[in-house]
Order: sequence, then structure tokens, then C-alpha cells
Amino acid sequence: MSQARGALVLGLALYLAVGATTAAAPAAHADGVLTIGLALEPPNLDPTATSAEATEDVVYANLFEGLTRIDADGRVAPALAERWSVSPDGLHYRFFLRPGVRFHDGTPLSALDAKYSLDRARAADSANPLNALLAPVTAVEVKSELVLEVDLARPVADLLTYLGWGNLVIMNAATSANAATHPVGTGPFRFGEWRKGDAVVLERNEDYWGARARLARVTYRFIPDSSTSLAALSAGDVDAFSNFTAPENLAALKADPRFEVVVGSTEGKTLLAINNARPPFTDLRVRRAFALAIDRAAIIKGAMYGYGAPIGSHFATHQRGYIDLTQRYPYDPAKARALLAEAGFPHGFSVTLKLPPPYYARRSGEIIASQLAAIGIRVRLENIEWAQWLEQVFKNRDFDLTIVSHTEPLDYDIYARPGYYFGYSRPAYQALLETLSRTLDPEERTRLLGDVQRMLADDAVNVFLFELPKLGVWRRSVHGLWHDQPVQGVPVAAAWSDAAVAGTSGALSGRVVAGLLGSVGLLTLVLGAAAVARHVTPYYLLARLGSLALTLLVASVAIFVLIEILPGDPAAYMMGLNATPAAIARLKSDYGLDASPLAQYGAWLGGIARGDLGISYTYRVPVASLIAERLIVSAPLALYALLLAVLIAFPLGLAAAGASRRRTSNSLMGVAQVGLAIPNFWLGILLILVFAVDLAWFPAGGFPGWQAGLGPALRALTLPALALAVPQGCILARVLHGALSEAQGEDYVRTARAKGLTRRQALWRHALPNALVPVLTVLGLQFSFLLAGAILVETVFSLPGLGRLIFQATVQRDLIVVRSVVLLLVAAVVVVNFLVDIAASIIDPRPRQGTR
Amino acid sequence: MSAARVTKATPPRDGAFIAGASIAALLLLAVAANMLGAFDPGLALNVDARFLAPGARHFLGTDALGRDVAAMIAAGATASLGVALCAVAVGLLGGVPLGLIAAARGGLADEGVARLNDVLFALPPLLLAVLLAATLGPGALTAILALGLFNIPVFARITRASARTLLTRDFVNAARVAGKGPLAIGFQHLLPNLSGLLIAQATIQIALGIAAEAGLSYVGLGAQPPAPSWGRMLHDAQTLTAIAPWLAWFPGIALAGSVLGLSVLGDRLRERLDPRARR
Repeated sequence: MSQARGALVLGLALYLAVGATTAAAPAAHADGVLTIGLALEPPNLDPTATSAEATEDVVYANLFEGLTRIDADGRVAPALAERWSVSPDGLHYRFFLRPGVRFHDGTPLSALDAKYSLDRARAADSANPLNALLAPVTAVEVKSELVLEVDLARPVADLLTYLGWGNLVIMNAATSANAATHPVGTGPFRFGEWRKGDAVVLERNEDYWGARARLARVTYRFIPDSSTSLAALSAGDVDAFSNFTAPENLAALKADPRFEVVVGSTEGKTLLAINNARPPFTDLRVRRAFALAIDRAAIIKGAMYGYGAPIGSHFATHQRGYIDLTQRYPYDPAKARALLAEAGFPHGFSVTLKLPPPYYARRSGEIIASQLAAIGIRVRLENIEWAQWLEQVFKNRDFDLTIVSHTEPLDYDIYARPGYYFGYSRPAYQALLETLSRTLDPEERTRLLGDVQRMLADDAVNVFLFELPKLGVWRRSVHGLWHDQPVQGVPVAAAWSDAAVAGTSGALSGRVVAGLLGSVGLLTLVLGAAAVARHVTPYYLLARLGSLALTLLVASVAIFVLIEILPGDPAAYMMGLNATPAAIARLKSDYGLDASPLAQYGAWLGGIARGDLGISYTYRVPVASLIAERLIVSAPLALYALLLAVLIAFPLGLAAAGASRRRTSNSLMGVAQVGLAIPNFWLGILLILVFAVDLAWFPAGGFPGWQAGLGPALRALTLPALALAVPQGCILARVLHGALSEAQGEDYVRTARAKGLTRRQALWRHALPNALVPVLTVLGLQFSFLLAGAILVETVFSLPGLGRLIFQATVQRDLIVVRSVVLLLVAAVVVVNFLVDIAASIIDPRPRQGTR
Repeated sequence: MSAARVTKATPPRDGAFIAGASIAALLLLAVAANMLGAFDPGLALNVDARFLAPGARHFLGTDALGRDVAAMIAAGATASLGVALCAVAVGLLGGVPLGLIAAARGGLADEGVARLNDVLFALPPLLLAVLLAATLGPGALTAILALGLFNIPVFARITRASARTLLTRDFVNAARVAGKGPLAIGFQHLLPNLSGLLIAQATIQIALGIAAEAGLSYVGLGAQPPAPSWGRMLHDAQTLTAIAPWLAWFPGIALAGSVLGLSVLGDRLRERLDPRARR
């Protein structure tokens, strides 16, 4: 039968897809393993093609290295180049590469690789975020196998610093194309695996050229919601956060003897960015009024719980040349009002403040809105995702105000870039930077840097809020993590952990789980098909199948149209902040995004027919395998929840129906009514509060993967399953009770009672079998609901399930993933409805022709 | 069968009904008071007064920005009830005509409505909201549309099913003999007889809508700040459980209480107004 073959194909697909992603990890050495929590998952692992901070956090100085590196104190240090020389005019740099360095794939490093990497970064269509900074480079020459020369058109004072940043790391030509998913570098760690939506695992590089890393394995686990980060830390799911995003909890963590809290500095200049090109912000008086109206102290206290140093210009406080300009515009609402009136706005005006997702932006936004309200400015807050921020604010400059932290070091040049989103263009500033770039004398440079800061403050380009703190929190067993963040990244080469390594037992690979799921599905379908063949006329079956296909087709059109009109350019999001238009255009053609909508729809349907769902834009892996990875979490979760729901529903429903007193029955059904009114995400929060945080019986969130063993995996799914199961179980209990009550009123039950059966016997032997039909119907619907509807609970518990995949993919404009997953979920609902209908028509001899 | 005949059988005193009705009234009162600005003083930021425990001055305590939690919950009712009511209106306006047309016309129209229902029904409201939010941006409008679209098949089905049983009644035959067309019969004769049932179902859908709106706000797709909403309060509370556990309890209790009250009310109304639901 065709369904049976479908199930076989599905099972096989699951086997293959999962098998590819769950390669067994080598056993851990006793030198320690570490799990580091990150707020954001990287879109891909190629730092030369994206400016996503999350990518640097994972790969910088761990997987990839550059010619130079930035050390923990922010100084330039030798890396792949063990030394270098600079010509007196500053136009020629000669780098002497370290001998004996090998890439993770075994190939030796040579000057050719360095030339390849630098040329790739400075090419016209390069997606490299530092492309613009390399403009003065005229040539990169290989002088000998290990000697490289870089020639410049004019001196670039910070060249050695730039070469130490994560975007200019050295790759080899053979592997660079796959760096997004299979990065091959020279670093102390090699790529292990990437469980999408959950974690990236790095394994120690045993052949590292330098000191061997002490950690055998490092897992970077993604915990997007700051609400779960504390619970994850307390429950031991995560050993360290390099950047903890819930500053309100630092006081409690400091007092907790298990943890060490290290507050350090970052390069993040947090700005209330102003669109200088849009009236009324073209008026300097208006911008100055805003600067005067903002009370930095209240923001730092309210949003950051006191962490973060106030800044008065676009310059980090620990950088050489910093001058304190925080009193340039002291908090003075009265003066601000006067300035506004002078500019022609005695009654203020309305603005929109667009807030990207980071915690500091969302939290500062509400406070800033209320401070601006005090000078008559009516602020509308708009929470937007990064994709929208990039599209609307960064690319189209369609904004009034936004809050963002610029984390690149010494990036004052952005104010001189033409078309940059601030809309600030002042020739005097550009001239100043030109002079600065040519100046090599340290003292003169310091003086010029002061001028840079003063000019930005005088022009009140943005409201400069505070320096983003680096809130490091880790277990006391963890050592060697960086205290400050002078460069984007979380290097762990020197880190170690003296905690005992827990062994894993009863490991169960995703492959086995997928196989089990596939087999169960297969068996069900074979049995179902056999029953269908016996009981249902081919005509009825054909008619129902036809309407099923029609529904799916209509749904596919609806989904496609809906997604087609989504704003936000996926290619732009994927390539990051500084991608060139040429690079974006190339990517679009690679993914067929430049074809007509009709052609794209046809390609999509054709692909589905062949079992090819396309390649995810963001993760750059086949969508089918992405779905399979999530399905082995979502499907067991749904089944587990369904099982718990049945365990809740049957005792409750049977007890209520069997109760001889109406009062007992009513109060039992009252319990069900209460249970059903509790929203599952709130229940989830409460369950975490009690069973994870207070009692520590279950993890607070996250999923260790099936390879961690059946026990840990099921433990991680228990609380989410319970949160899902309680409301569903209560619904089921009511259905069961209703059906039982109805059956109890029927003649056959009365007859049975008259024959001398007790109420209880009649209930179990006669009423229950008859009540099962509606219960099974509801159960079927609930399964598809649980598969698709777990978005909230998956969010509460940070589970890498289908719901979160679709949520994330939508946020990241990964439309190929979105449309296929939505269609899959719709298909699940429709197919289950169909199966339930068929089952009903088997049980009920009178098939209800037509429709429900 | 007219609604009047059924109401006669209602038990005289019903605690659950009264409780449900009181919660509904309380919600409406909170919305009205919020529109008059009664809670604005409590909603003002005051960072120095944050995390005050429940007490005499703030009987449900204050939140991370020093706002009064009781005022926020009361003001949050506006977002919850507003979205749920509008979504039910969308569902009624879209679903009832569809159901009536399907019942009155039958045949192809019936089949078409059934297909449309299947597609709408197959899209879980949360999923729809995620997609809509990506298009329209997050906010109340998105929530209303997503929940409203979900409500359409609900009302279409219940309308169609009940209308079909009514179609066999004498007064319908009489109208038919009098020469009225199927649509006229649908709107003039069936609809008034369905209103009780629709009100009952609407109450239940409002309860579901409040829960769903809170869920959307929890993931950031519902009402946007600074307008308070229960879902966002719960979201913000999750990181503060160690500092201010009451922030995770009170909005949840308000939410579950409202959902419970309205669904009990809806169930009781259905028992009174829908002849089929009575045992």
C-alpha cells in the first residue's frame, strides 16, 4: 500500500538524516569537559562570511586563527605569524609564518593559504565584514613557503589589530567553501558536531602547534531566553556563561558559593542611535535635547542593575586615548525642553523606537521611553527581530531611534562611512579620520582620538548610553576563561575544569530513536491499511484521499503566498551587517531566490515530490535533515505528553463517571476544568520553579540529545511533557466522562444493570468500550496539536523541537525551512484527521458521506 | 425550539455560573477603568521602588521597574480581553455566514466551506500567529487576526451543524412554502434561533482567546510594550523567580482565573441554551 511505502521512506529518511548528524563522540579524557552557555546560536560557523557575534563566540581562537591574535588583555600577539617586520614608511608588512602548523584535515599551513584567505576577504564581492578596512591593501604576495608580504597604498595604523580579529582568520582553499557547516581551521579545537538549535561541540585538537588545550571537549549550548539561563546554571546543565544576560540575578549568584561572578569590560558601545538624516533629528538642537533628557544612571540601574560604565562618546573606557565626556550633556530635562522649544517643538513630537532582541535594548527601551515622555516626546516602542532590524534600520535606514551595542573595537570609522545607518555625514569628521589613519606617532594619535570623541559628542550624533559589561558567571570548578572581552569571542584554549567527568551510560543514538519512531509509524500504517482494506469501500477511500490532497494543495498555496510577502531579505540577514550588494546577489542566485514566484513555487513542490526540501539559508544543511533532527525531539515529546495525558484522563474520567454521588462526579470534573484553564506555558514556569530550581529533580531546560542516554533524555522531557499533558489530559477526561455518561444512559447499559451487574461492572464492561471511540478521535487530534502546538512549552524549556525550529526560522527569515515545516505540520493535522475519519467509518457502519 | 423554553429548565441557583459571570464582569470593569486611566499612576516607572514585596502599599508588590503589579494586571486585562473579543468578532463575522451558506445551499458550497475549514483548522493558531507576525509585525492586530482566523471554522462548523437540524423544522418549511429563498431563511429564521448557542460558544472562544493571547505575548508576538499584558509579565517574571517570585504567580492566577471563569460561564450557558448539550 502507498501509505506503507510512505512510512518506509519516512523511516529510512529519518535513519539516514539522523545517522549523518549523530556521529559518535569520542570518549572524554579525564582532563575535563566544559559546557558554555551562549544567548544566540550562530547562523553558520564561517567567521569570514558573517558578522554574527555568535559565530565568533564559538570559533574565535578555538577553531580558527589569524596571522595575529588579540590576547586576553586586548594586545596584539603573534599567532600563525610568529613574527613580522614593517617597512619604515608603513606600507609593507612582512609576516613569517610558524613552521609545522597543520590544519585539522592534516594539510600543512603555507603562505599560500594566508594569501588565499586575505585575497578572499578583500575581493570585491567578498562577504567579509572587514572588506572595507582592507581597501588600502594593494597586494598580498607569497615570498616563500612561509613568508608573506602585504603591501598598502597608505599606512594603516591598526592593520595588525585587524588581522587579529575573527573575520580575517586563515583557512585553506580546499575547505573554506564548507566552513559554514564543517569548519576546518588550525586552532586548539576541532569541530565535533552541531546539534541545530541546541549546541555546537568542539573536540580537542591533539596535533595543535601550541600548548595542547586542557579541555577534551567544549560544548557551546544555546540558551536564547535569559529566563532559562539561571535555571540552566543552577541545574548544572551549563558550567559557564561568558556573557550572562540576566544581570538581575548576579547578586544572588555572587552569594552562591557554587559560582564565581566576574564582571569585565567589552568593546560594546551601547547607543540610543538616532537617524540624523530624518527630520527633526537633522536639527542639532533636537539631538542635544535628547542627550540632555536621558538619565544614564537610571538606565544603568534599571536595565543593567548597576553594571556598565556610562559613556559620553563612541569609545570604550579602557581603550588608550579615552576621554570622559559623560558630563558633556548632564541630565537636565528642563534644559532639554527649552532646546526643543527653541527648535520649534514646544509640545514635543512622536517617534518610534525600534528595539532589537538583546536584553539590554529591550530593557533600556521602556525606561528611555518614560524619560523622553518627561520632555514631551511620545515614544512608540517596537520590538523587532534581528532580521527586521538589519532590513529596516541598518539597510533601509527606516527608523527614528533604535538601541544597539556596537561591539567591534575602535570602530569610530563607522561614523565616516557613507550611507551608514546613523545618517551622519560630516566632511570634517572624515578628514579627521584620514589624518588619524596616516598618523603613526602614538602621542599624536592619542590627541587625535580625543578629537574624534569630542566631535561625535559635540554633534550629539547618538545618545551614548553605557559600555556593555561582560557578565561572566561560572562554576568555581571552571578556570581560565577570559575576564574581559577585548575582541568578540569566547576563547577556551587556556581554560580547564577540575570537576569530575560524569560518564554516560545507556547511550541511545538519535538513529535508534528515529528507527523506533519509523517502525512504530510503519506498523501502525500497515495495520491501519489492512483494516481499511477490509472495511472501507474503495470509492469512499478515494474520495477522502482526494479531498485530503486538495486540502494539502490549498494549504501549500496559502503558505507559499503568505511567506512570499514576508518582509526581510533572507540573504541580507544571512550575510550579516557589512555584506556587499554583489555578495548578496550571488547568494540569492545560488538559492534560486531571484526566480519568479511561480517558478519558486513549482520548484518547491517538485522538490517535495522528490523528497528534497532544499537547503536551509541560515544553517546551510538540507531542510529534511534539520526537520529529522527536530522530529526526534518533538515526536517523542508529543508521545510522552500523550501518554501522561491518558494517565491523567482515564482515572479522572472513570472515577467521575463511576462515582455514585453526583457531587463527587461534579467536583472531579471541576478539577478537570481547572486543569484545563491553566495555560501550559505558565504551568511549565511553575514546574521549573518547583521541580528544577527548588528540588533539582529535573533539568530546567535544554535537551542533552539521545546519545546522552535514555535516562537523561527522558528526564529532560518529563517536565515539558507534564506541562503539555495536564491541560490535554483534562480535555480528554471531560470527553471520556461525557462519553461514559452518555453510554451509561443507553439501553444496553441499563439492561446490563438489570441483569445484576454493579454500576462499576457495567461501566467497565459495557460503557467504557463504547466511550473509546470519541476518546480516540480526540487523542488523534491532540497528537497533531502536540506536535505543532508545543512552541510555547519548547520556548519555556529551551527544547530544540519543531515548534522552535519554525519560530527561529521565521525570525531569521529562513523561508525555505519555514514553508516546509509549516506544510509538514499542516499535513500532520490533515493526515491524522483523515486517519481518524477512516477509523470512525470502520467502527461506525454508516460512513458519514460528504463532510463533517 | 426557542431559547425561552430551554431556560425554564435552568437550576435556580448555580454557584459556578455566578462565579463565572462575576469574573467576566470584573474583567469588563478592569477594561473600562483602564480606558479611563485609573491605573496610570501605578504604571509609572520608578526604578527606586522595584521588587517591593506584596504589602500594604502595593498589595501585589512591584515589578523590576517599580510598577505596581496589581495595576499592571488590571490594565493587562485590556489587551487580553480586547484581543479575545475582536478575535471572536472576526470568527463570528466570518464563520456564521459560511456555516449558514453551507447549511442552506448544500452541495458544492457545503463542500467548499468544508475544505476552507479544513485548511484553516489545520493551521494551529500559534503557527499562524508566528507567520502573521513575520508579515505584519508583532502586535494586537496580528494576535486578533491569527486567533480570529482560527475562530472562523469553529463558528462555521457549529452554525452549519445546528442550522441543518433546524432546517427540518416546521417553521422553516413554512417559510419555504411562503416562497423565501435559502439565504433569506438562513439569516431570518435560522440565525435568531442559533444566537443562544453562538453566545455560549463565543464565551468559550473568548476564554481560549485570552489564553492564546497570553501565549503570544509570552513569546513576544502579542500586545507590545509599554501596554501591560499578562503573557509578557509572565515572560519577564521567569528570570526574576529568585528575586520576586510573586511576579510569576499573580499574572498567572489572573490568567488561569479568567480562562476558568469564562469557560465555566460558556459551559453553563451552553447547557442552558443548547438543547443538545442537556442531558
